[in-house]
Order: sequence, then C-alpha cells, then structure tokens
Amino acid sequence: MSVIEAIRAGRTFEPAVHPQIALEPFVLQASGFSLWYGKAQALHGVSMHVPRGKVTALIGPSGCGKSTFLRSVNRLNDLIDGVRVEGRLVLSGQDLYAPDVDVIDLRKRMGMVFQKPNPFPMSIFENVVYPLRVDGENRRRMLEEACERSLRGAALWDEVKDRLRQSALGLSGGQQQRLCIARAIVADPEVLLLDEPCSALDPIATLRIEELIHEISQRYTVLIVTHNMQQAARLSDFTAFMYLGRLVEFGPTAEIFQRPRLPETEQYVTGRFG
Amino acid sequence: MHDEANIRRTSLTARGEPKQWLFGGALVVALSLIAGLLVIVVVEGAATFWPRPLELAALRDGTRVLGVPMATEVYSPTAEQRVAIEGLRARGELGGFAQDSAGRALRRLYRVANRELGHDPFRWVPLHEVESVERPREALFVERRSWGPWIGIPEALLEVDRVRIAEGEPLPPAEGMVDGVGVRYVADGGGGEGAYVRTREVARGAEATIAALRAALPALAARRAEIERINKVEIGRVNAAQEWWRLRVREMEIRLAEASEPAGRLGWPAWSGVVVAAVVAGVGWVRLRGVPGGGQRAGRRLGAWACGLVALLAGMGAVLERPWGARAITAEEVAGAREEAGAAQGALQAEFDALRARVARLEAEDARVRVVVRDVTTGRFAPVRQSEPEEPLAASQVVRAVQPNVLGLGGRLGVYGSRWWEFVAGEPREVNTEGGVFPVIVGTVLMTLLLAVAVVPLGVIAALYLREYARQGAVTSAVRIAINNLAGVPSIVYGVFGLGFFCYTVGGYIDSGPEHAASRGAWWAVAVVTGVVAFAGVALVAMSRPVPGTLPGSRHRWSRRLAALAWLGAAIGVAGLLVATPYFRGMYRANLPNPTFGGRGLLWASLTLALMTLPVVIVATEEAIAAVPRSAREGSYGCGASKWQTIRRIVLPGAMPGVLTGTILAMTRGAGEVAPLMLVGVLKSVSQLPVDLQAPFLHLDRSFMHLGFHIFDLGFQSPDSDAARPLVWTTTLLLVVVVVVLNVAAISMRGRLRARLRAGAF
Ligand SMILES: Nc1ncnc2c1ncn2[C@@H]1O[C@H](COP(=O)(O)OP(=O)(O)OP(=O)(O)O)[C@@H](O)[C@H]1O
Ligand SMILES: [Mg+2]
Repeated sequence: MSVIEAIRAGRTFEPAVHPQIALEPFVLQASGFSLWYGKAQALHGVSMHVPRGKVTALIGPSGCGKSTFLRSVNRLNDLIDGVRVEGRLVLSGQDLYAPDVDVIDLRKRMGMVFQKPNPFPMSIFENVVYPLRVDGENRRRMLEEACERSLRGAALWDEVKDRLRQSALGLSGGQQQRLCIARAIVADPEVLLLDEPCSALDPIATLRIEELIHEISQRYTVLIVTHNMQQAARLSDFTAFMYLGRLVEFGPTAEIFQRPRLPETEQYVTGRFG
Repeated sequence: MHDEANIRRTSLTARGEPKQWLFGGALVVALSLIAGLLVIVVVEGAATFWPRPLELAALRDGTRVLGVPMATEVYSPTAEQRVAIEGLRARGELGGFAQDSAGRALRRLYRVANRELGHDPFRWVPLHEVESVERPREALFVERRSWGPWIGIPEALLEVDRVRIAEGEPLPPAEGMVDGVGVRYVADGGGGEGAYVRTREVARGAEATIAALRAALPALAARRAEIERINKVEIGRVNAAQEWWRLRVREMEIRLAEASEPAGRLGWPAWSGVVVAAVVAGVGWVRLRGVPGGGQRAGRRLGAWACGLVALLAGMGAVLERPWGARAITAEEVAGAREEAGAAQGALQAEFDALRARVARLEAEDARVRVVVRDVTTGRFAPVRQSEPEEPLAASQVVRAVQPNVLGLGGRLGVYGSRWWEFVAGEPREVNTEGGVFPVIVGTVLMTLLLAVAVVPLGVIAALYLREYARQGAVTSAVRIAINNLAGVPSIVYGVFGLGFFCYTVGGYIDSGPEHAASRGAWWAVAVVTGVVAFAGVALVAMSRPVPGTLPGSRHRWSRRLAALAWLGAAIGVAGLLVATPYFRGMYRANLPNPTFGGRGLLWASLTLALMTLPVVIVATEEAIAAVPRSAREGSYGCGASKWQTIRRIVLPGAMPGVLTGTILAMTRGAGEVAPLMLVGVLKSVSQLPVDLQAPFLHLDRSFMHLGFHIFDLGFQSPDSDAARPLVWTTTLLLVVVVVVLNVAAISMRGRLRARLRAGAF
C-alpha cells in the first residue's frame, strides 16, 4: 500500500529516512512531534534530525505543515490561542517545550525570515540591530560594527551604506527581504529558519537571495521552506518531503531528487503531484 | 451598432441616478451649512473691530443725535407717524434716506453710547423725524477704561492743579468757572487749612484738543502701565510673601498641637525585628533573582516576589514611622518662628504702604489732565465718574480716541489692528464687555493641553491593556461597550462628578488629609493583608499559565478568575490604605478653611474633561493597535523581543498616528466644552492667571477663564449685552481659531509620523 493511502486511511507508517542522515551530527531533533490548532491536527508525529551546519529544505504541498513546523521550532505558535503540542523538539540538548525554558532566550538563538518581508517601520540601521537592541546592547560602536557585518553578510551593505538612517520601508521588496535576513543573522543564531524567503520576489532578487543563503550556510544551520524544486535542489544539502502533516521522506537532496525511495516523492519533485 | 431595446430596459432608477442626486444633494446641504457657519463666524467676528463712521442726525424737533449707525430697517409706523410721514411727503420734505425704493418708512439704530447719561446706549430713530444727516469731522469715539465708549464732540484739554494753601496765606481771586475752567475752592482738610483747584486750559477747539490728547496719551499710557505693574507684580509679590510667612507660622502651630498628641510608637526591639526582616527579605530577593538557569523558574520568581513584598512593607514602615528621625517640634521653636515672621511682616507692611503711596501719587498725577468731550444730545460732557458730573473725564481714562469720519483706509486699518491687539493681548475690563481676552485664551489653551497630557497616557495604557494583555472574551467586550457608552454620557454629568469627586473628595484629601484616619495598628494590619492578597494575585497569575504547548484546563481558568478577584481586592485595599492613612495630614492644612485644591480649579477641570474624552482616545488607540500588522509583531518576537519590547518598539510607534487622532478629537471636544467646566473650575473673571512668575509657575489649583464660557457670559450675562454682542462673534472666532491651531499642530505631527511610517510604500 502506498504511503498516501496509508495516510488517508489514518494508519501509521515509517517515513523513509535515508541512512546518510544518521551519520550527520544534528542540532535540532524532533521526535514524535504533533501539533494541534484547537481541534485540527496540523503535525502528526514528525520525527527528524536537522543536521548541524547544513542546509535542510522542507518541501511539500501547500498546507502540509511546513510553516507550522518552522514556527514550532522558535515557538512563535505560542502566540496563537489554542495551540497544543505533543512529543519533543530538542535544540542542542534542550527540550524546547519544557516548562522552565526561557522562550525569549530561545528565540534569540534562532533567526527567522518570513515569507513576506516584514521590515519594521524604523531606519535601516535600527532594523538590523533590533535583535541586539532588545538584548540590551546599546553601545554605538558595537551596534555599528554588527550592522555593517550583517549587512555585508546579507549582500546589502553597498546598496544601503549611505542611507542607513532612512526608513527601511523605502527599500525595494528584494532589498527588504535581504534586510530581514541581515536582521536574522545579526545576533549570530545557531539556526536560521527561512519560510519561503523568495516567494514574493522576482527571479533576479531570488537569485541574489539564493547566493546569499548559500554563503550563509557555510556558517549557520539553515532550515528552509520552499515550493521551488529547483531552489531546493540548488540550495540544500538535505531535503525533507512532508505531506498532510507527516514527514514522508528525508534524505540527501541529490538522492531525493534523483533516486527517491518513494514514488510519491518522485511524483512531487517532478511536479506530477501536489 | 447599439441595441435600442437594451438601453430602454435599464431605467434611470435601476441605474441609481436619482439616488445619486439625492445623496449628492444631501452632501451639498451639509457642506453648505458648515461653510455658512464658518463664513458667518468669520465675517461677524472680523467686522467687530472695524471703525465705523459716526453720523450726526438733526431731528425736526431740534434734538441732535450722534452715534454709530448700526442698522437701517423697514418698519410699520403707528397711525400718528403715518400721518406725519404723509404730511411730509405731501410737502416734499421727506428726505430720500427716510424711505426705501418702494416708499416704505425706514428707521435706523444708532449706537449712542454715553451710558452715564442714564439712557439706553442704543437708540432707534424713525428716519422721517430726521431733517438732515451728516458726518462731522470732529466727532470723536472715545474708548474708555470704564463705562464703555463715549461719543461726542471734543472741546478742550484741561490741566487741573490742586493747590494747598497754608494758614494765613491769601486765596487767589476766584475766577468765574467757564465750562469747568477757572479757579474753584474746595473744602480740604478743615481746621483753617484749605485748598483750591485751578484749572488751566491746554487746548480748545476740536482739532487742537484731539491733537493735544494724542500727544498726551503715550505718557499717560506709560504711567498707567506703571501703576498696573506696581499693583499686580510688586504688590502681588509683597502679598505672596506675607501669605508665606503666615502659612509658615500656622503650619508650625499645627505641628506643635499634633506633637502633644500621644505617640505610642514602637520600641527599639520591635524595630530591630523589622530591620532584620527587611534585610533577610532583601537578601533573599537578590539571591532568588540572581541565580541563573535551571530549577523551577516559576517557583523562584514567586519566592522573589514574596521577599520583595516583605522588604517593601518593612521599608514602608521605616519611611512612614521614621523611628530615628521623628523629632517633635517645641514651643520655643514656634515662638521663635512667630517672632521672625512678625519682623518680616512688619518690613513687608512698610514696603506695602510705600507701594500704595507711590500708586496714590501716580494716580493723583494721572488725574490732572482732563478732556472735555460733549454729548450733542444733552450738551453734557463726559464726567470723570458718574457721581461727579461737573468734573470732566481724565485723559488717562481714554484707551483710544478715534475720529472715524476723517480716517482714511490706512488709519482705519491701524485702529482695527490696534483693537485686535488689545483684544488678544489685553485684560478684560468692564465685566468682560471690553478690553481683551488674554487670560481667557491662556486658560483655554492651558486647560486643553493639560487635558491632553492627562488623557493620552491614561487612554493609551487602557487601550494597550484591553487589546494586548486582556484575554479577549465576554468581559473585554462588555468593557468596550461600557467605554463606548461613556462617550455618550451628557457632559454636565461629568461636571457634577468632577465637582463631587475631584474638587471636593480628592481635592479635600490633598488639602486636609483623610477625614477619618485609621489607627496605626489597624492600618498596618490592612497593609499586610493587602500585600498578601496582591501576592496571592501574582501567584495565581503564575498558576493560571499552562505549560507551553498545552491547553489551559479548568484549574488555569479558575486561577485566572481568582487572580482577577485578588487584584481587585488588592486595589480596594490600596484605596482603603490611602483613604484612611494616619500618615498624611494634608498638604495645605495651614491654609484651611480656605481650600487650595479642595475647590474648583484648573487641574480638576482638566481631569474632568480628560475623563470625559477618555473613550475617544481609548477607541482610536485600540483601533490603531489592532491595525499594526501581525507580521511586524511576529518579526519582533522572532528577533527575541519580549512582549513589552514588542509593544514599546513596534506596536506603539505603529499606533502613534491613531493615538494622535484620538488626541485631536479629545482636545477639540475638550476645548469647546462649557457645561462641565462651569462646575469644576471656570470663572467669569480671575485676578490671577494660572501661569505666572511665582513658584511653582503653573498653579493648578487656580480657577481660570475659558473661551466657551466667556462667550456665554458676554452674550447673556453682561449688563450691556447689546453692546457686547459683536464681541460674542469675535470671541467665537477666536475659539474656532484656537481649536483650529491646536488641531493643525496635532495633524501636522500626525502627518509627519505617517510619512515616516509609510516612507516609500510603493
Ligand atoms: N493559525 C492557525 N489556526 C488554525 N489553523 C492553522 C493556522 N495556521 C495554519 N493552520 C492550518 O495548519 C495546516 C498547516 O498549515 P501551514 O501554514 O503549516 O502550511 P504550509 O505547509 O506552510 O503551507 P504553505 O506552503 O501554503 O505555506 C493547514 O491546514 C492550515 O490550515
Ligand atoms: Mg507556509
């Protein structure tokens, strides 16, 4: 019986996890992680390891729970009433949903970039150093250094270095998204969470962001959600395919795209299903 | 090719055109009403100060009327008048000015002023009685410091000297008194001493008199200003110093009387216990907060709260009871202070007398120059005061002498400008019907600004709580409905509440302390209970939070409800502690029974209106907060910001334009409100501005004047409301201008903010 039928029938099944994953050191580990929005279950016992220092792509049809999984990692779902979780999410040995976890501290260890660029209504400089400011850093020198470093990291420095004091809302869409990336990496996070960072951008801006992610991935662990198969293939080291709130197949990107274990994965990555 | 049948099928009604006309028409009516209102206020208000010509009407019976023509209208003559008119017409003697183009009889309203003469300052003249009208060059419109304007023909400028003669000195020969000029004897002092008054003529004839008067006016005005300065500033300063000394002694006397009351303070062993408890709790607090990572966070936080509570109570005890520093005042100290105050008062009294003497000298000097301006109807000249009809008007009483019939456009503009300036920058005279409205403007603006200062933080905090912190549900909906209903409560209700609560209750408390203070033991018992209840509230709130990722159960819901109850109880406890504190005896008790804050005043008026306009600010702010995009908040949380940081850095700046909209609405409503102000702080006239150069510069306890009330007062409460009517328009215009200026300032601020928020939204 195919995986899809098993899911539809409500039966449990083992996701096809390629053995190479087990060889990688991991930074984030989900085990049997389920999430409910009120009565509706959005994640069904997801178990996966996110390898340290690599780019992992989450793919899957719309509504399969990719964003939900990403938002569970930095606990943004806490802001929504009626969210319930089961199972464990562990970041570097720390259970993210333990009662004594300091959420704020936790979120500071991750950077998140959203589907739509969301610069704050303040200057470019203030936008970039916002995570440092809320962390209580107020020394001008430090802030300026960090701002330049992360703007360079986000390949935005040359474009905005003369207008740091101007409103960030005056930037173009692609620039805004790179600004959000700069903001996400300014505090040196352990994990970078990217939720379809290029979906609102034109091909050129997308290309620049992809280059940027590629560069960043040398230093950070990146978990990226994308609908663009080429992008997943180009960018990521590992790819996880999700369907209806379950992890279906997880392995090195090359294998997922060329020799998937499951026919569903093959159909999805070749665009015949989803 | 078009299809005829199709076009016919769509009727006009179906296309909605008639409705469009109807709606458009309604809009036009509404707009023209608003525009009409503005135009009338502006035109009438601006016309008041324009110098109008003076007309001399010679009546057929020989009377002459000199006045400002105010209006000419058609009327229906009585039978006698009709006969007279027909007779005149038959003889061809009826002037063209006496009838309109259709031959109907006209009458004209003259403002004849000259109130001392005992007649109505306005007079209707049927124009058929008039033989001729002219505009005499020399006719003079004299604006005076009191009794309103005087209209007449200037005759002479005199200088009056009062000469004292020693005993035995011969009197100069009495000259005949002609038109008030000459030598006159007056009984002065008695006992053989005497004095005479010699009047010298400086100028005679209309032109010469006016020229001489013009020349004399600047010096007179300077002297007037000096007199006023001494009266206000110097004498005010002396009075304030005298009051200060009086209050100082009184305060010490009260403290001496209290010191004789039984003390019954705790002894040193008990205090040692309190100090030890405070130290232990403080150390516990620091340790519990300082330990990093691990362990039961919630439990640690509660422990910290408990320690903080103990430390707070112990610290309060130490501050309030002052076990080491409360030294009672002694009778000797009071006696010393009394002596010192006596000496100071003596010196101040001497200074006061000297100032008064100086004022008297200046005033005597002031009264020397007189001007004779004769009323044409009665032939009487303007008197120095109504009780002395034979003494001509002192030139120093003249504010402005206008010869409207010879003024060119430039001259008219000059008079117009100077009248406006006097209106805006001057003090009111003559029960507000003349002079300026400077104190009124100051009062209005200050009240409105204070209102904004009070209402904005309160409204924003309330809206933040409602929108960001409160759990959205039945309770918050009920609160929202209640707030919206508050906006509809008649304003006078707020006035009554303000008078009863702010002025008498809160103000009385500030003045004289709690009415019935509790005993210290009972008070501390309540304080401890309140502290425990507040602590229970904190603990219950902590218990009402479910473990992250799980849903709240009934245990959490009940904890939340109990926490709300506990907070309510703690709030009641704190209120009770304030109401019955034995440690506060009032800040202005030395001044009692005169109220300081316990009466009507600027602060209470502002707070009352702040309360009234609070719903506007809350609603506007709430909407603005709700409009801050979710993505911005999530971005902020994603950066590791706490809730408060997100609110302060993202939500509040984003909601600022909305807050300003609420502020604008609140200020506009507050600035134009009259009814509640009449109850809580506005007076018809005040002797002192609420701001001045005496510490603390802003006197929140003082009453003030307000443009809205001023309009009502001018129009309907003044002795000469006909004459004051034009001022009603002018004051209304000013009120509109003040509101517009406040609004424009706020709107431009909002515009700048919005531009910053939206820059480059393309
Ligand atoms: N705030 C919410 N309240 C209730 N249900 C939600 C909420 N957010 C998401 N869901 C539901 O959870 C499921 C997973 O949603 P999610 O946003 O994670 O999908 P996704 O994989 O990111 O889809 P897309 O590719 O379209 O972004 C969907 O069925 C969605 O309807
Ligand atoms: Mg999504």
